[in-house]
Amino acid sequence: MIKRVFVVLIALGFCLAHYSDAYSAESREVVGAAQKEGRLIVYSSTDSSSAEPLLQDFKSLYPFVTVEYNDLNTTEIYNRFVAEAAAGAGTADLLWSSAMDLQLQLVQNGNAQAYASPEIPGLPKWAVWQNQAYGTTLEPVSFTYNKRLLPQDALPQSHADLTRLLNEKSAVFKGKVATFDPEKSGVGFLLATQDLKVSSAFWDLAKALGGIGVKVYTSTGAMLERVSSGEHTLAYNIIGSYGLLRQKTDPSIGLVFPKDYTLAFSRIAFISKAARHPNAAKLFLDYLLSKRGQGIMANKSLIYSIRSDVDGVATAANLNKELGKALKPIEVGPDILAALDKTKRLDFLKRWQEALKR
Amino acid sequence: MRLSPLRLLPVLGVALVVLGPLGLLVYQSLLSAPFFDPTASYSTEAFRYILSNPDFHRAFGTSFLISLGMTSIAVPLGSLLGFLVVRTDLPGRRWLEPWLLVPVFLSPVVVAFGYVVAVGPVGFFSLWSRSLLGVVPWNLYSVGGLIMIAGMTHVPHVFLYVSSALRSLDPAVEEAARVTGAGPWRIAFTVSLPLVWPSILFSISLVFLLGFELFGLPLVLGDPGGLLVLTTYLYKLTNLLGVPSYQLMAVVALSIVVITFPLVYLQQRLLGTAARYAVIRGKGQAFRPLPLGELRWPMLALVLLWLLGVVVLPLAGVALRSVVRYWGEGVSLTEVLTLDHFRRLVGYPNLVRGIINTLLIGGLGGALAVAAYAAIALSSHRWQSPVVSLTDYLVLVPRALPGLVVGLAFFWVFLFFKPLSPLRSTLVSLWLAYTVVWLAYGLKLISAALLQVAPELEEAARVTGASQGLIYRDVTLPLIRFGLLGSWLLIFMMFVREYSTGVYLLGPGTEVIGSLIVSLWGTGALDLIAALSVVEVAIVGLALFFALRLGVRLDA
Repeated sequence: MIKRVFVVLIALGFCLAHYSDAYSAESREVVGAAQKEGRLIVYSSTDSSSAEPLLQDFKSLYPFVTVEYNDLNTTEIYNRFVAEAAAGAGTADLLWSSAMDLQLQLVQNGNAQAYASPEIPGLPKWAVWQNQAYGTTLEPVSFTYNKRLLPQDALPQSHADLTRLLNEKSAVFKGKVATFDPEKSGVGFLLATQDLKVSSAFWDLAKALGGIGVKVYTSTGAMLERVSSGEHTLAYNIIGSYGLLRQKTDPSIGLVFPKDYTLAFSRIAFISKAARHPNAAKLFLDYLLSKRGQGIMANKSLIYSIRSDVDGVATAANLNKELGKALKPIEVGPDILAALDKTKRLDFLKRWQEALKR
Repeated sequence: MRLSPLRLLPVLGVALVVLGPLGLLVYQSLLSAPFFDPTASYSTEAFRYILSNPDFHRAFGTSFLISLGMTSIAVPLGSLLGFLVVRTDLPGRRWLEPWLLVPVFLSPVVVAFGYVVAVGPVGFFSLWSRSLLGVVPWNLYSVGGLIMIAGMTHVPHVFLYVSSALRSLDPAVEEAARVTGAGPWRIAFTVSLPLVWPSILFSISLVFLLGFELFGLPLVLGDPGGLLVLTTYLYKLTNLLGVPSYQLMAVVALSIVVITFPLVYLQQRLLGTAARYAVIRGKGQAFRPLPLGELRWPMLALVLLWLLGVVVLPLAGVALRSVVRYWGEGVSLTEVLTLDHFRRLVGYPNLVRGIINTLLIGGLGGALAVAAYAAIALSSHRWQSPVVSLTDYLVLVPRALPGLVVGLAFFWVFLFFKPLSPLRSTLVSLWLAYTVVWLAYGLKLISAALLQVAPELEEAARVTGASQGLIYRDVTLPLIRFGLLGSWLLIFMMFVREYSTGVYLLGPGTEVIGSLIVSLWGTGALDLIAALSVVEVAIVGLALFFALRLGVRLDA
């Protein structure tokens, strides 16, 4: 009997702790107002199956908020949002997208509302821009390779290694390497320009890629599939979270985080100025940034937690341990906007085409 | 004939639904910024940029080449196939028919991916070929490969038009040829096919136009190697300047619309007067299939060969991918077999709803669309007027707009045109958009059938005092029932496959299989896509099979 009471008490304690933990960071007003709103519309590029654990957990915390989760691609999010905002029609309360450039462009044009999340102290400084745009993940960018085709000892460990390998064994790698098409993919463009910012040797690598007739893609999935099948031996600038997810079911995929520098990108979230459920959006944003939400990102969604105090598989802490100073996060800030400058953009793409001899 | 509001209304409706989005695009092409942006001003900059851009010229040339190539493959093959299946005693022709239609309802991205898995550089068949012959004698990623696949996969479109027209052909004309000693070939090329010339001619314009609109196939097969076509060029324009530049995209889309004008003009010139093709006359005759004689089995072999290349090959690729964890060079198949993808698919969010919505939009939506098309076709039936020939131009326009643009255009219309905006994010908006995009398809199918009803049948009814409505109900519509059923079937499959048109009209609750596939494509869950496609083929295939075997008798 006593034992049973004891168990019940412990369970009760857990429940209380759970609740106080959940609400601790939230102001009562926000929670109360969100309860009145009762709904939340999210446009997100994180696919439904990765987002599902987050949505379930959010629901268990705030059962009174019904989340309408729209799983869209990044261009769709942008197109849809700008038109809906201009029409004054209902649109998303919160936008969560991996197109860092498009997201910041929207924020820059005054589409976001400022909100100082109580979770800010847990985030790196570079991840928050004007209390409007929030980086929610820290996803390292890798060389992804086929383990059957590329032996462990032949792996390039740095960008310079890769350039040398491609130049020396150009016959072997002819047509066997894939990368993003910076002309058609926003993420691809961002990664390539960040490469150039970190390393002046980027054009050497681009020329080496051109020399072996690199194939260019617009989707990570297509590249991973063709690396896995052996059509390509290696893919350059693959976002680690996708590779990690793929590794769960596919032993042929290997990831290298280059030792000289590893870019890390971040899915950016912001609350829309036109939000009809702004408080629910605040709750969701706080949840995404909270230790609890980030724990699920690190262990279930595998999209790499940005917080250094989260344990698990895909975490900033692990990356920092492995890479130290070589980890170069793409800062949520005006740097990205510079990539949208038309003249510079066309110049960059022209050089890229020249390097590829297309 | 008297100009009645009943005749005028459907035509006005068509004009409205086509010119609305088109007008918006023209307007957008003449602006310096998105039309809803307050800073937008009139400018011809977009035209100047596109028309002087070397990439545009290159892409246009490649698209033209691909269109030409695929038309010259698809139209002869599709017409021949239609003749063999409908008019001759080809063995097993009724069993073959559902299979002939499979390539129509598969998403082109999935078909392309199926080919990659089957005959790509490290595909199953390529690896077998390499181990047997030492070489892989084909290159899937070449322009030639693309034309071949695009041509072969568009055979069913032609087949559907030609076969439905052939079905309503009076067998007496073939019978007459046969008794004078003509063989099946002679009959096909000098009697049957010339009589369905309107359908063939329309197939030519349509397939040619679809060639410009191809997106999935060139994206998966050609794009990685730098093969640029108009639609992938359009894709590039969404990112080239950082944010999508609608004015540039509008100009490219309009350049494809311009192609429809000479196509329709040629069609009208070549067809001349419809009376020449009226073959359902006031006398009926029992149908007897033409004996192919010793050609029976070789012809069957030819059809099966085509099926192998267009249905079995990509489907085998997709099906194999759905039961392996990974594949490719150096992988032993027996070690990677799994049913996990199907298990994961069952748990995928919104899957069941997506399947139900897809069937709903295809089945019910398809039937409603056919009813709308029939109303439009009847209203211009036997009406010699410039208004009608104008309609010919109008209906092709929505199909000429590439998916990337047409989706945006419909989204804008539903968003900014206030009377429609409550419908946005419902299946109704999706239905309306699909119905407009496939207007030319359904309409031509029905009017081709109408063309073949000789006027004396309707006149006979009129003499006995029947009103126009009664004539349509009791004479014309029953006579074209095959055409109606055929187009319902075609529209069903088109709607099941369609996705890009509705991409901005979909939301939680209105998912369709196409949207699930696209969202899975983004993350690279090709294993799930393969499993989902297998499920899709199974469902649609079964529906088709039973429709053809039990309910819908196309060859009654």
